[in-house]
Amino acid sequence: MSNPRQSIFNNSWIELAARWILGLTFIYASLHKILAPADFAKIIYGYNLFPEIFINLIAIIIPFLELVTGFALIIGFYPRSAAITINGLLLAFIVALTINLIRGHEFDCGCFSAGQSGYSRSPKVTLIRDIIYFVFGLQIILFKGNRRNCFGGLISG
Amino acid sequence: MVSRKTIQEIIILVGISVTLAMVVNFLSPRGIALVGQWNTSKGVITASPTAPEEWKPQEINSAARAKEIFDSGNVLFVDARSGDNYEEGHIPAAVSLPVGQFDEQIESFLNRHSTDARIVTYCSGRTCEDSHNLARLLSDVGFTHVSVFIDGFPGWEAQGFPIE
Repeated sequence: MSNPRQSIFNNSWIELAARWILGLTFIYASLHKILAPADFAKIIYGYNLFPEIFINLIAIIIPFLELVTGFALIIGFYPRSAAITINGLLLAFIVALTINLIRGHEFDCGCFSAGQSGYSRSPKVTLIRDIIYFVFGLQIILFKGNRRNCFGGLISG
Repeated sequence: MVSRKTIQEIIILVGISVTLAMVVNFLSPRGIALVGQWNTSKGVITASPTAPEEWKPQEINSAARAKEIFDSGNVLFVDARSGDNYEEGHIPAAVSLPVGQFDEQIESFLNRHSTDARIVTYCSGRTCEDSHNLARLLSDVGFTHVSVFIDGFPGWEAQGFPIE
């Protein structure tokens, strides 16, 4: 039989599970950002990494990138490219979180809106979670066989 | 590793996302401007919601000016931060009305203060919009002389003004 590493990356059920997990996670994560773009913009400001002129554009576009690529993963629309885009986003999140962890920067505006919107999770936990998602993304990107549709049926060709 | 086809697909996915983002942001009542106000030296930071502001409070944009108003007396400073922050330190004689608990606390506040009172709200400074939100809520329930001290408690404390 093939070695275990190969079977993980070639198992179409694991690939489908990875797409569902990553897809649902990204859709879920996008929703409250879409509902409260001003709060999300303030969180981006709080990272203290981006030029002022781009903060709102990032806050407007990123949630929809998450929503569209998450949806694409689940329905199997350009799944590999969607996973590459998602891993690109995850890589950016991982780099941003790591920079701020290393330099000890933690933004606290002392505001109600930021405290209540569920962003107060520890950055280390978020970092570990993003790395796990990144591995799911890699499975989808490196998968070589025929993918399944969202209900589990094999798509030929 | 990344083929031409993959690049085309990524461009399509990003294109759909950007288009959808711009359309939704334009149509949504919660949409924000394409460029926000993120420079604390120019005032309180904000993503600049595009919904028309029905009411804008008067801003007190220096601690020195706030101190003058404080010294003139006959003014009520209202602390918009959490009760814990208020307990740790606040402007002397300020009353606590956390904006997150406005609905629960406004009735007793109304019982104690006339809507004619001259009110100055404050929170944690220019990265915080809570004092503006509190000023708007107070105006909504009938207070007519409400202004916002935008440098908030940190700005006051940094000048070495009295706290309690």
